Amino acid sequence: MNTHLLVAPFDHALRTKRERLREAASRGKKVLGYFCTYTPVEILHAGGFLPVRIWGGRGPVEKAYSLVPNFICPYMKRSLENALNNEYDFLSGLVQGYTCDVACGLVNIWKGNIPMIISHSVPLPYNDTLQSREFLRSVLGELMERLSKIGGSFPDGALGASWDLYTQIRRALSDLSRRRSQGRLDLDAADFVTVVQAGFVTEPEAYLTMLKELVSSPDPGCGVSPREGIPVLVSGSVVEDANVLALIGKHGLLVVADDLCTGLRSFTPASGMGESPLERLVDRTMKRFPCPSRSHPRERIPLVKGLVADSGARGVIFLFQKFCTPHLADHPMVSQALRDDGIPSISIEMDEDGLLDAQVATRLETFSGMLEAADGS
Amino acid sequence: MEAERKSTKRLSTARDLAGVVAEYYLECHRAKAEGKPVGWMPPMNGAIEIFYAMDLQPVFPENWSPVCAAFGLTPAHFEVSEGMGYSRDLCGYLRNIVGYLYGDMHGQGVPLGGLPEPDLILSFGGGCIPAMKIFQVLEERFPLARIFRADGPQVAVEDIRDHHVAYAVSEMHRLIGFLEEATGRTMDYGRLREVVELSDRACELWDEIMSYRKFVPTPISASEIGIMFVMVTRQGTPIAVDFLTRVRDEVKQRAADGLGVIADEKVRLFWDNIPLWYNMGLFNSFEKMGGVVVAETYSAAWSLRLDTSDPIEALARKSLMSYSLVSCLSIERRKEMVLKSCRDFSIDGAVFHQNKSCAPITLGQADIRKALAEELGIPSITIDADHMDQRNFSLAQFQTRADAFMEMLLLKKRF
Ligand code: SF4
Ligand code: SF4
Repeated sequence: MNTHLLVAPFDHALRTKRERLREAASRGKKVLGYFCTYTPVEILHAGGFLPVRIWGGRGPVEKAYSLVPNFICPYMKRSLENALNNEYDFLSGLVQGYTCDVACGLVNIWKGNIPMIISHSVPLPYNDTLQSREFLRSVLGELMERLSKIGGSFPDGALGASWDLYTQIRRALSDLSRRRSQGRLDLDAADFVTVVQAGFVTEPEAYLTMLKELVSSPDPGCGVSPREGIPVLVSGSVVEDANVLALIGKHGLLVVADDLCTGLRSFTPASGMGESPLERLVDRTMKRFPCPSRSHPRERIPLVKGLVADSGARGVIFLFQKFCTPHLADHPMVSQALRDDGIPSISIEMDEDGLLDAQVATRLETFSGMLEAADGS
Repeated sequence: MEAERKSTKRLSTARDLAGVVAEYYLECHRAKAEGKPVGWMPPMNGAIEIFYAMDLQPVFPENWSPVCAAFGLTPAHFEVSEGMGYSRDLCGYLRNIVGYLYGDMHGQGVPLGGLPEPDLILSFGGGCIPAMKIFQVLEERFPLARIFRADGPQVAVEDIRDHHVAYAVSEMHRLIGFLEEATGRTMDYGRLREVVELSDRACELWDEIMSYRKFVPTPISASEIGIMFVMVTRQGTPIAVDFLTRVRDEVKQRAADGLGVIADEKVRLFWDNIPLWYNMGLFNSFEKMGGVVVAETYSAAWSLRLDTSDPIEALARKSLMSYSLVSCLSIERRKEMVLKSCRDFSIDGAVFHQNKSCAPITLGQADIRKALAEELGIPSITIDADHMDQRNFSLAQFQTRADAFMEMLLLKKRF
């Protein structure tokens, strides 16, 4: 349990997620799950649904192995395990933006094995052209049609209101992230991941209120002492376990910025350009801080370097879900590009029980020592 | 290390395949030498017909991997790519091609002369992640090549709607525009129609050849499935049509003569997922007990007819369907196809290759197995392996499981 005063409400929201979501479902709210932040949550919300990101969590995988092989990412294995254990009995369905093969496969496996009224993958274009934008508009239209068939309705102004709500949320998170990077917010990386993840499982209206309170918290410029450690950036896919980040902090390292889909990638950019909410949604999708599953490493490399430079990080820690193809495939090129710029990195894999390598502590210590030495030289 | 084994082929046309393969790679090198633009592209999409129609030379790096496996080159390639930091958990096609590109690409002993360097690269989104990442590495490796970043809707076959087709069509036009600009050649749409007609004819022959598997004993088995090389590399050319016509004639004759691939066929098997390219002999390993692998999922990717009245739309639809027919995009459709194939080909048992190198095809296997058992009462086994990396395969374990499975099936059929 996180006792940090600022984080307590978010921590509480995370710990009570299941009861709250069941309660919402029992009130008649249709809750729709998604795996990946490329899912257009605004559309789900505008249709009257509550979008919730599926969590995996730590723990054993048993039942899921009757449906999937062991060589898929722990996030997806654990999600399926939870589903088979009725952990998500509040869900009406699953909607997912096509990102990686495993997520896509799991949508189909859930469809065949978990009772749901909708299961839908949204094919997202890779290129940003006039035609691809038109295509994206049409697949979003198709999604709205499918949602209408299960009781969704899209009255005038609904999408605009949902867009504004989520944009405000993303703006608040961007603001917090920036202040954290600059040492002007007393939240460590584990706290921040807790704050972000609470948003995945909370009604957005309530979440925005929680964020507003956090945003209005005092600036450490006015008295809170900044944390200490060698600044580093963490990069990877889903990092749900705040302990992983806390462990990094125990080795003299201070996570000042991230490139995670449970972090910065989920809210960057906060908004998009366009005359209508749909246009803004399309624009934002096209301009998202890219995930390896959707982009070329050459596009990501300058962005990651930019984060390193802006945050003052002196090294990068890659946190991989074991077997996560998109991130593992990009790693050699990205780490080489960082090396070329004198930015050292290490990579650490996680499985369903947490950190995979028994030597993680030693490696973190060595990395920290190396950064320190480089700093002194 | 377990010995690499080649399959035993009973069709004389299948044995001719080595010549067809060699001729294709010769043609690729000849094209390069003569200044004909060479383009590297992913398989199973409509770009191949566009290339042949514009007299450009297509090269398929994914197809090169089975060749490397057959020649025993993959371990060396893996050493190179893993040394560069590519994880052993990544698809073997990716690790093999990276190892080849940064290893012995221009080495002396490379079989078939290797691959000629690309002038054009069709890098793409769509298909699976490893295939997309292969092309991103290619872009890095060949900085002078002209790059076309293709896009394609990832949608299950049963969910394809007009807007998916419209986008795929617009991508086809964009590709043609790019090729015209990059090569200075002009697309002749009359020629494109001819190529698409040839392509469709190859599909028709493919379906016809597959249909002879209904015969008991089967005149063609999975051991001969290497014939799909022409579907991967030659679709849209008379070479594919001629070769498949000869295969069809031979298979038809064998069916009429009641000639099976083995003399005493007792058990008919189905194979799911990609073969073990380094050990194609595995398909024959059931034969000592009277088992023949009659059908497999992989061949479905070529079982697509093209509507030649609108060549561009036909190619767009082909691009939309080929990958999703064999991947986890369409588990529902795959289930239907496997069940149909097991019914049509009188299958007794199925072998599911749980392929460490390919999550997209492996995902969904459990559902398909369940449906096979529940709806058709067909038993199956799972084999843990890898289509490229033999370190993830134990022959001894396979044999024990396969023998036990065969015994069970023989008992069930009261042999
Ligand atoms: S991107 Fe990686 S972590 Fe995310 S679902 Fe795919 S494999 Fe799993
Ligand atoms: S083998 Fe599977 S994972 Fe590998 S490139 Fe082909 S479809 Fe993709």
